[in-house]
Amino acid sequence: MAQLKQLLRPQRKPLHLALLLAVASSLLFILQSYLLAMLFADWLITSQQQQPLTNTLLISVLPWLVLCLLGRPLLQYGREQLSLNASLIVRKNLRSSLLDKLAAAGPGKSQYGSDGSLSSKLLDQVDALDGFISRYYVQRYLVLITPILLVIAILSYSTLAGIILLVTAPLVPIFMVLLGNAAAAASQRQMQLLSRMSGRFLDLVRGMNTLQQLQATERAEQSVANAAERYRDSTMAVLKLAFLSSAVLEFFSALAIALLAVYLGLGLLGILPWAKGEIPVPYQGALFILLLAPEFYAPLRQLGSDYHAKAQAEAAIAELTPILQSHAWQHPGTQQLKLTQAPSIEFQQLHILASDGRQRLAPVNLSIQAGERIALQGPSGCGKSSLLHALLGFLPYQGAIAVNQLPLLQLERLHWQQQLGYMAQHSSIAAASIADNLRLAAPQASEQQLIQSLQQVELWPLVQQLPLQLNTLLGERGLGLSGGQLQRLALAQLLLRDSQLWLLDEPTAHLDPDTAYRLHQLIAELSVGKTVIIVSHQLDGLAWLDKVINLADSTKPTTGATFNHVS
Amino acid sequence: MLANQPIKLRNLLHSRSKAWLLALLLGFITLLSAVTLLALSGWFISAAALAGMASIGAISFDYFRPAAIIRLCAIGRTAGRYAERLTSHYAALGLLKDLRVQSFATLARSKQHNRHSADTLQRLVTDIDLLDQLPLKVVTPWFWACSLSALVLLFWYLLAPALFYSAGLPLVLALIIPLLTLRPGIALAKQDTQAAATRRTVLLEQLAMLTSLLLWQRWQDKTRYFSQHDHAYMSLQLRQQQLASRVSLIQQSLLALSLLALLWQGSVLVNHAALSVPLLLSALLALWALNEALLPLCQSFMALGLSMSARDRLNQLADGYAVVADVKQAIPNAPFSLNVSKLSARQGQALHGPDNVSFSLRSGDVLLISGASGSGKTTLLMTLANQLSCTGALELNNHAYAHWQLDETLGYLTQQPDIFDLTLAQNLRLAAPDASDDKLWQVLVDVALADWAKQQPAGLDTVMGEYGAAVSGGQARRIALARLLLAERPILLLDEPFAGLDPASTEQVLAALLKRQRDGLLIIVSHQRVSIAHAKHLQLEPC
Repeated sequence: MAQLKQLLRPQRKPLHLALLLAVASSLLFILQSYLLAMLFADWLITSQQQQPLTNTLLISVLPWLVLCLLGRPLLQYGREQLSLNASLIVRKNLRSSLLDKLAAAGPGKSQYGSDGSLSSKLLDQVDALDGFISRYYVQRYLVLITPILLVIAILSYSTLAGIILLVTAPLVPIFMVLLGNAAAAASQRQMQLLSRMSGRFLDLVRGMNTLQQLQATERAEQSVANAAERYRDSTMAVLKLAFLSSAVLEFFSALAIALLAVYLGLGLLGILPWAKGEIPVPYQGALFILLLAPEFYAPLRQLGSDYHAKAQAEAAIAELTPILQSHAWQHPGTQQLKLTQAPSIEFQQLHILASDGRQRLAPVNLSIQAGERIALQGPSGCGKSSLLHALLGFLPYQGAIAVNQLPLLQLERLHWQQQLGYMAQHSSIAAASIADNLRLAAPQASEQQLIQSLQQVELWPLVQQLPLQLNTLLGERGLGLSGGQLQRLALAQLLLRDSQLWLLDEPTAHLDPDTAYRLHQLIAELSVGKTVIIVSHQLDGLAWLDKVINLADSTKPTTGATFNHVS
Repeated sequence: MLANQPIKLRNLLHSRSKAWLLALLLGFITLLSAVTLLALSGWFISAAALAGMASIGAISFDYFRPAAIIRLCAIGRTAGRYAERLTSHYAALGLLKDLRVQSFATLARSKQHNRHSADTLQRLVTDIDLLDQLPLKVVTPWFWACSLSALVLLFWYLLAPALFYSAGLPLVLALIIPLLTLRPGIALAKQDTQAAATRRTVLLEQLAMLTSLLLWQRWQDKTRYFSQHDHAYMSLQLRQQQLASRVSLIQQSLLALSLLALLWQGSVLVNHAALSVPLLLSALLALWALNEALLPLCQSFMALGLSMSARDRLNQLADGYAVVADVKQAIPNAPFSLNVSKLSARQGQALHGPDNVSFSLRSGDVLLISGASGSGKTTLLMTLANQLSCTGALELNNHAYAHWQLDETLGYLTQQPDIFDLTLAQNLRLAAPDASDDKLWQVLVDVALADWAKQQPAGLDTVMGEYGAAVSGGQARRIALARLLLAERPILLLDEPFAGLDPASTEQVLAALLKRQRDGLLIIVSHQRVSIAHAKHLQLEPC
């Protein structure tokens, strides 16, 4: 909740103004009820005395009545506009700070959930705050102010009526807190289920082809049905509590009106057991109280129906808190190291653990000279990629990494990353045109440069023949191009960036020997004078490498202690 | 509900019609109790005041019955509301579950999944959720508002026709004024669904490419791009809310007008002794209480628009996919003979692909396909896997592919296999639900993953993560291969199964493959030189 308060702080002014409008509206309501009670009392007495009604009173109260009747909807309109705008701004800011947090986590974002569930957090759960900001925030103050105003008005006519309302009122918050706490917990579970359900959907729909081939669609359908069923059960659990809390309010509200009506009616008849023959509250006051009574509970009832907005917001914030409060490992460095030449890199007892304690990379000692070009080898899963991620500045590690003798931890991460050339196992191709994809890596590149890079990776002959050439659109996972073509396009992205240090994570794993060879040659040509670390299984065409390090060897205890291990 | 049937809004209430009828009835009782409670209370104290003033006293004034009805209304309002809400929401969630499963089944029974799967996710989850708006926010509120307004109007008419004539018109106008939002409401809501889908797609892509975008310093650009879509979506929502706010402003003003007309006409009627003051008050309070039933109407057409566009998009999803005909076809039996002659095929708009390819295979044969990147190895394999149409002849056991039901015969390993965010065992058991742990371990040995799996703390229960993030690309491909082996398909088509494997492991996997496919066919696309004594070779010419 403290988190939520902090988010709302910048928007306090418009929200408080909205509250002011709502209070003004309550005052108009009291006036309106007073005028009507006065009018009807006058009419009742006149008609009881068999005298003709004069319109003078009606005409004199009419302007005031019109003011009340039209003023209240106007004030309500103003309140809504202010609150809605505040909500929009808060949600927008929250979303961008969440994105910042994810960016800080880098590849570690997966610890907060799959892409599907992250997108659901950033969109659905941030939007789940809307009800809290645009309705609940003002309502929770109003729920105190309005009843107090009304009770003051009512007390001036009847102490007992005021007491009836005052006695029932405190019971309401007690019930609400009891039920609300349970509802909040249930609502949080529901949010998690919703997020897991959409993750499961995305996962299964993405692999529909595979499911069909394995004839596993029925099992998958069952899994979808189960997820939907669990979602329904949890939603019903939340709703039962949410509705129960509003039913309690409803009950008090209805009961109070009924009690008041009977009390006031019997009082007017003069047959109350403790006041026989007396009229404790005269008609005008009685009617005034009866008109005000429903409104006494109205803010509470509204709060009750908005209460699930609060539960929802709390659940959403609880889901978002891990991201918001993440101290995603912050790369501590502040120093800017401008690489004008190829850097030297040293790993001393570099050791990487996953957040769950699994070992991702056993201790490694390794020294790479400036301009040296090396390959890393080792069995699958021995931590080659993790080593690159650490060098990219995304992963915390034990031991030391030094660039040009400077500890990597002293370098400013953004500045450092800007100077890296990186190509991953899975190419980063967006559902956009070929040109847009290339310009993601190099926004300033001219068309000629794009064509040149495509020529270098031998894609240009293909692209040239496409009707739209560079403007050809690619699908979600770059469908329409074969696996090899995708990797070459990703390599073209890399070629467009001019960096002194290249980190290549199995760039040619899927390419045929000829193209792999050609690409290795291209890398050889273009990387002269740069420091290159390439993780690769295929050594064809990599004869130009200065050395090949086998991580399986360098992790052996005997060599692990040695410095400057050379394969 | 059957899969592949277009969703119609009017059918949405059919599947659980009894629950919906009960909800309508309960809601009506609730609102009627609320109106009666207030109107009767007003009449009661006024009449009591009159009686008290006339000193008729308690003797002749029947106060028991009104007091009892007032209490009954109080209870009816509370219990009715609770029961109505539970009933209608239970029915709505049941409807949503049906729709969810139905949509997934539609997808599962169709071919071609080249659409954006981010889009598909958006449709399945969000759009389906929107369909419950129709019964909850359109049908039921209008039913209640119309029926209660009719009752109030009847009440006025019975009190005095003049009341009905003067105050009735503004009330009817207040009832129908939300119709003004019909057109703009639906239009805005349709844009809304579209904008929500775009926003989600943009975000998903940004998240998927996060690492590269960060390194390229393009993260801020993409964030800005996302913010634009985010803002566009939220402004659309704001405009919808503003539309509703404005209409409710007009509605409230009309109700105020109706109230004033009631007062004016009432005073005239009281003057002519045609109406008593207590009854006039109850007429006024009935209108006062009706507000609660009329207010939700201002939101209803936005909800209708959302439901309509969600329906359209869900139906489009079903239309977009050709449904696989459920015709009983023969399943080919061993021994197999595969004859390919003069086969040519293209992927989508591609210019290149295999041309005039011919070969023939018999049970026990192994075919190794090689060729430069772009020569169409993958395209050829897709064609052989019955995923792509072709020209030329493609016959199995002397019949064209179309003759056969091939689902249980062909096993195809793609270059980007799908590993699901399930455990290792669950991923494998997709192919063979009843496979024992021993069988799983055996197949893991065959694909040279057993050692790796044993090293994992959770073993077979290791969770694979999204896109199989917990495993490397080579491992993912071999998990998929293991899954295929468990499915025991007699004809295996493998695209680069050895990528990322060291020579020793390659030998191990190859030996297992040869052993398992002794009586079937094995077709492998590989750029690694693998040596198989009796294998046939096919070299595709580069383009």
